[in-house]
Amino acid sequence: MVKFGIEFVPKEAYWKTVYYAVQSEKRGFDNLWITDHYNNRNVYTTLATTAIYTKKIVFGPGVTNPFLVNPLITTQSLASLDEMAPGRVVLGMGAGDKTTLASTGIEAKKQLSAVVDAIAIFRAMLEGKSVTYEGKVFQVKGTRFNFMPKGQIPVYIGAQGPKMLATAGKIGNGVLINASHPKDIDYAVKQIKSGVDEVGKKMSDVDVTAYTSFSAHKKPDKAMQAASPVVAFIVAGSPNVILERHEIDLAKADKIRGALAKGDFGGAFGSVSPKMMEAFCIAGTPDMCNEKISRLLKAGITQFVVGSPVGPNVRTSIDLISEQVIPHFKE
Amino acid sequence: MSYKKIVELIPVEKREALSNKLLNYLLKTKKEKNMPTSMAKCFLSQWQTGGFDDEVGLAVLLEAAATVEPEKTIEFVGQELQLADVAKALEEAA
Repeated sequence: MVKFGIEFVPKEAYWKTVYYAVQSEKRGFDNLWITDHYNNRNVYTTLATTAIYTKKIVFGPGVTNPFLVNPLITTQSLASLDEMAPGRVVLGMGAGDKTTLASTGIEAKKQLSAVVDAIAIFRAMLEGKSVTYEGKVFQVKGTRFNFMPKGQIPVYIGAQGPKMLATAGKIGNGVLINASHPKDIDYAVKQIKSGVDEVGKKMSDVDVTAYTSFSAHKKPDKAMQAASPVVAFIVAGSPNVILERHEIDLAKADKIRGALAKGDFGGAFGSVSPKMMEAFCIAGTPDMCNEKISRLLKAGITQFVVGSPVGPNVRTSIDLISEQVIPHFKE
Repeated sequence: MSYKKIVELIPVEKREALSNKLLNYLLKTKKEKNMPTSMAKCFLSQWQTGGFDDEVGLAVLLEAAATVEPEKTIEFVGQELQLADVAKALEEAA
């Protein structure tokens, strides 16, 4: 049965994010993903507080990256969280956003190798033994925790490009695909399968997760309006190959990029076209959303993540999803 | 007057509308700094264990909202819900 996850960006006071986390657990979500950006509240502070106030929801960073947070610190954080909430912790690891990393003075070189190294170190350190690892990007020499981790923690890899997707199929317990359209999921599943086949795994060994931009409301125009700013940023950050896959006018995408660069958010959000909305978000009434989720399930996903903005009013949209979306697929 | 006593002044049929409005005030507030640490913990504990539907929960929610967004809370209670005595009690408690 499909799992439902939800993503929150901890940009406001911790008690708001944790309120939504508790609400999500109460309303039947299986997984909680908290984004990791240096300019928001800290992901592990948020997750630790979530661990205290929840009982069963599975949670983790969605996603962290090895460039800004050293893999040893990521492992330490997750192992500590696993003591607070045994068996409820997962790691979401990606390559990070180059633009954001550049602003911190970090050059994200060899992204694929960095993720592979980070995951190798993560898993080795969780064994509780002394670890020596010579990777292309990260090396450790005789590192060991002064405590015994509780055990292995599932690793989800945030992936978009073909090599990262295939690698995720090879070494991941799950894949987080930043996509809301069946075309992108179809493409991703093919790449993941190539990695899965290469190492003799089964597709059922991998939790194929659509990490969507989502907005639900009883009135479709309100849902769309809430999602259009997120879509503007997705369009601006998408490589041309993905825009072309959805037959999006590259000039219009450039116009949005330009407006965002100038801080003209009204201009950027106003330039989002229906085709862009169709390609990069799931927004509308619960029935409209259900139809689109069904298409993603047919494309091969096993977890559906309700990502930002969730809806025009996060609290009431969580209730709406709980009442009219999750039961559609779970009952 | 304690917030528990103030809640007792609120007719049962108006409590759901009040609870909904107060949650919106809190979750959409830009005055996050007005929320004392101890109150944030109390708010989350109440949400985790019981919610805000009963008198105890509504008292916690009302106190938090009246602390973080006093003007909006008192205005809603006095003008929208037409509960002048409750609005006055909130002003005195704040």
